[in-house]
Amino acid sequence: MASVTFSNIGQSYDLSPDESTWALRPIDVEFKSGLTYGLVGPSGSGKTTMLNLISGIVKPTQGQIYFDETDVTKMSIAQRNVAQVFQFPTIYKQMTVFGNLAFPLSCRKWSKNKIKDRVESIADQIGLGETLGKSANKLRADEKQLVSLGRGLVRDDVTALLMDEPLTVIDPQYKAELRRKIKKIVAGKGITIIYVTHDQYEAMTFADEILVMNVGSVVQRGQPEELFERPNSRYVGNFIGSPAMNFIRGVVDQGQVSIAGQRLEVSTSVTTLGGAEIEVGIRPEYVPVMEAQGPNVITAEHISVSDMGSTRVLNCKIGDDIIRAKILRDQPVPKLGPIYLHLPSEKLLVYQDGEIV
Amino acid sequence: MSRIFKYAFVIFWTLFVLAPLSWALVTSFKTPAAVNQGATFIPWVQFDPTLDGWKDILGISGYANLIPNMINSMIITFFASLISVTLGGLAAYGLSRFRYGWKYYGNSDIIFFFIAQRILPPVVLAIPFFLLLKNLRLLDTHLGLILVLTSGLMPIVVWLMVDFFNQIPREIDEMAMLEGCNPLQAFRRAILPLSKPGIAISAIFAVIFGWNDLFFALVLTFTEVKTLPAAVVALNGTVTPFWTLAASAIFSILPLIGFVFVVERYLAKGGFSGAVR
Amino acid sequence: MSLELKDLGITDGTDMILEGITYTFEPGRVYVLMGRTLSGKTSLMRTIAGLLDFTDGDMYFNGEDFDVLPTWKRSTSMVYQQFINYPNRTVLGNVLFPLLRSGLSKAEAKAKALEMIDKVGLSSFADRKPGQLSGGQQQRVAIARALIRNSNILLLDEPLMNLDYKLREQLREDFRELFTTSKDSVTIYATTEPAEALLVGDELLVMHEGRIIQSGVPAEVFENPNSVTVAQIVNEPPMSVLTAEISNGTFSIGHRMKSQIPAHLVGLPDGDYQAGFRASELTIGSEGDMKEEGEVDVAEVAGSETLIYLNTPTGYTIVQEEGIHQYISGDKLGITIPPERAFLFDLSGNLVVAPGN
Repeated sequence: MASVTFSNIGQSYDLSPDESTWALRPIDVEFKSGLTYGLVGPSGSGKTTMLNLISGIVKPTQGQIYFDETDVTKMSIAQRNVAQVFQFPTIYKQMTVFGNLAFPLSCRKWSKNKIKDRVESIADQIGLGETLGKSANKLRADEKQLVSLGRGLVRDDVTALLMDEPLTVIDPQYKAELRRKIKKIVAGKGITIIYVTHDQYEAMTFADEILVMNVGSVVQRGQPEELFERPNSRYVGNFIGSPAMNFIRGVVDQGQVSIAGQRLEVSTSVTTLGGAEIEVGIRPEYVPVMEAQGPNVITAEHISVSDMGSTRVLNCKIGDDIIRAKILRDQPVPKLGPIYLHLPSEKLLVYQDGEIV
Repeated sequence: MSRIFKYAFVIFWTLFVLAPLSWALVTSFKTPAAVNQGATFIPWVQFDPTLDGWKDILGISGYANLIPNMINSMIITFFASLISVTLGGLAAYGLSRFRYGWKYYGNSDIIFFFIAQRILPPVVLAIPFFLLLKNLRLLDTHLGLILVLTSGLMPIVVWLMVDFFNQIPREIDEMAMLEGCNPLQAFRRAILPLSKPGIAISAIFAVIFGWNDLFFALVLTFTEVKTLPAAVVALNGTVTPFWTLAASAIFSILPLIGFVFVVERYLAKGGFSGAVR
Repeated sequence: MSLELKDLGITDGTDMILEGITYTFEPGRVYVLMGRTLSGKTSLMRTIAGLLDFTDGDMYFNGEDFDVLPTWKRSTSMVYQQFINYPNRTVLGNVLFPLLRSGLSKAEAKAKALEMIDKVGLSSFADRKPGQLSGGQQQRVAIARALIRNSNILLLDEPLMNLDYKLREQLREDFRELFTTSKDSVTIYATTEPAEALLVGDELLVMHEGRIIQSGVPAEVFENPNSVTVAQIVNEPPMSVLTAEISNGTFSIGHRMKSQIPAHLVGLPDGDYQAGFRASELTIGSEGDMKEEGEVDVAEVAGSETLIYLNTPTGYTIVQEEGIHQYISGDKLGITIPPERAFLFDLSGNLVVAPGN
């Protein structure tokens, strides 16, 4: 396993000199060896381009790619020796499961016994030990996808394992199960994994570290917790967490933040933002309901309750904005009407023009 | 580099395919003198073009007139193809959407039954067809040849279209029915507009096979409804000069070329994306 | 205008697809069908739509035999899991299609269609073809098509299943508003997600192996599942069901952990039971009387929560923890079981006592 480093890599498909229209704007990124990375973003955000640059399907318009210390920018796909799982299961239909798993090894001229041992051990790990003799084409889509993954895992010398939305064609009822299975299979193997998805759910589940992408650049990078606790933009705040982060419009006046005429203490220094329009952001999980007024407690209008099962979400109005507060099911549900909500200063973040201050 | 090879190959192939055609086309405008001169290709420069060959086949010089044969061929091909595509298309839709059968035999057996019609070589069928048409007094009639050709074309259409309809999500029919269309309306309103490429392919096959049929035309028609291929063959059998033959060859493929140009634009319309995710 | 099913059943050879369905659906209410894959939800809907023939029982609409009417005369609309639209028509053309036979003038129909397109938030996409839209937008088109006819019966078969969770969250909220516009229709909504059932449903019907095994107000069913099966279906993640025993004034779980008999279980006869716990009510950490040590099988982030699947000596246990945390497969964790939150079932799986709320 190796680390993957992008040095000033940029990619433009139409060779436009204007870098703001590039599929991937010039960027420096390092993927450390042995960690799992989630590249997440909507289509057109550059995440698949990034993956294709690593595998070598696409050659960069500018910059260098390194695997560990080696410059691989000019190397062919085969030389780079990465394994990839695609959206659609890629299996050799005419072969058995065993044949499929053994294929990459027999191409490398491994001895028969060595192949057998290796394939059997991998098959057990992906839970297909029983089906080795079966025709690969007879498997369910989720099992086929596991075979694709297995073919990546049998080679013990791959530099990185790339996964490009591997759950796309899986029936929803098997999705969660397959997601857990893949996670278990790769856990603790020390493989460098780069996982591309447009589904935040998947990314959050899989990755040690997430790169949120939008229109050709990485807008935030961090561990799932960091993205959840401290999204650096409105975009990330909405993207991650369920329900999304609350954003309430407010102003800064004499170094003090106020929303709908109510003053709030925040942990961010806002002295430089005199008179500016801002938004305060807070996760619905961090908005407890209070009995009475107090420091950083605001009055809002409680308008409805959404029952989510294990939790309930209180929809409240403050000024013209909606603030949601999440309470556990065993907590009492407050009456509709005026409600006191505590916005703890250490959880309040300040945003201006969609970016964190 | 590889690009240059690709283009070179494509250009070579185009010339390879077009050469005989252009040779026939050029020859059809030559005088006997120009033909005997050897290989020449550019009219007015290398030889003086003449319409003599064309006059010979269009009844102007009184030698031969292929126009009635052309009309016969058009009538027969048009109706045989129309019936094949209409009935065959409906049959294929039914076979794709509903289950038929008796005991163990189901839709796939019916489809095989259709395609099995094509297993017997035409030679074997010639005598039965001849007797059949004779009894029905349909020998040497348009209708007789249309029916016989239809029996050969329809299996191809059914076979092509079943596969095509199977690719169209069933939910689209269901949805149309839920929205108030009876099955036939659902077929016409929702499925048919999606089937243009399939229909175009089937129609092209039907028309080409129908147009080029020579065997049944020779066996089942004589004087009244002689088709174009039969007439051209008859020309070949006499001492017709080959500039006239060249003209007849070009003449007989013109309608096909026209037809393919018209239908071609329905072919490449991109699939069903957006129908089902 | 109610839809009445009497002892409805479908058998296909020896396969029982639906059995003994007796239920009356009233207009203006949203009925949610919950159940696992192949539990009969889709079959029931297709039967109501006339796309599937039933073999036993009767079906009446507005007091009249419904079975004699073919699909196209039933005035039902259906939204499928997959986003089904006419690919060759624009968004406007798709939404207009159901109105073609309504007798409205062209201009009226167009105005109505545009209004509906606006309602589902697609006004700027009216001229696009479905293939040019994202999945969420395509499903909105399908929903607009279903809603525009004011059908007597509106069937939605897991309409959000194929969407990202962010989109699901958003459309779920939209649904409540969209459905309130169809006061005269019976709305039936199939889903596997408890949160959806609780949010959109007026009535909840739990299906299992072709039968309705419990029905009632969603929150009521959620609080008092009448069997282990229902409890598993209406909880996501599923409840952890552990062996329990009441004897000599003690309540024990897994024959290992003992506590006093919690208040809601007082007075029950001694004996063996099964105890179910919601994932959100189990906690990480070792406090209280009942604690257990488990090994993390897999952990995943779900929205703003972390789901931890653990192997414990007592059984497979699922814990839901608020916030985003990282656990690695194989981690040892202590969990605390709150006996006062136990759903007690007898050994054949029927509810004995629910903990109440």
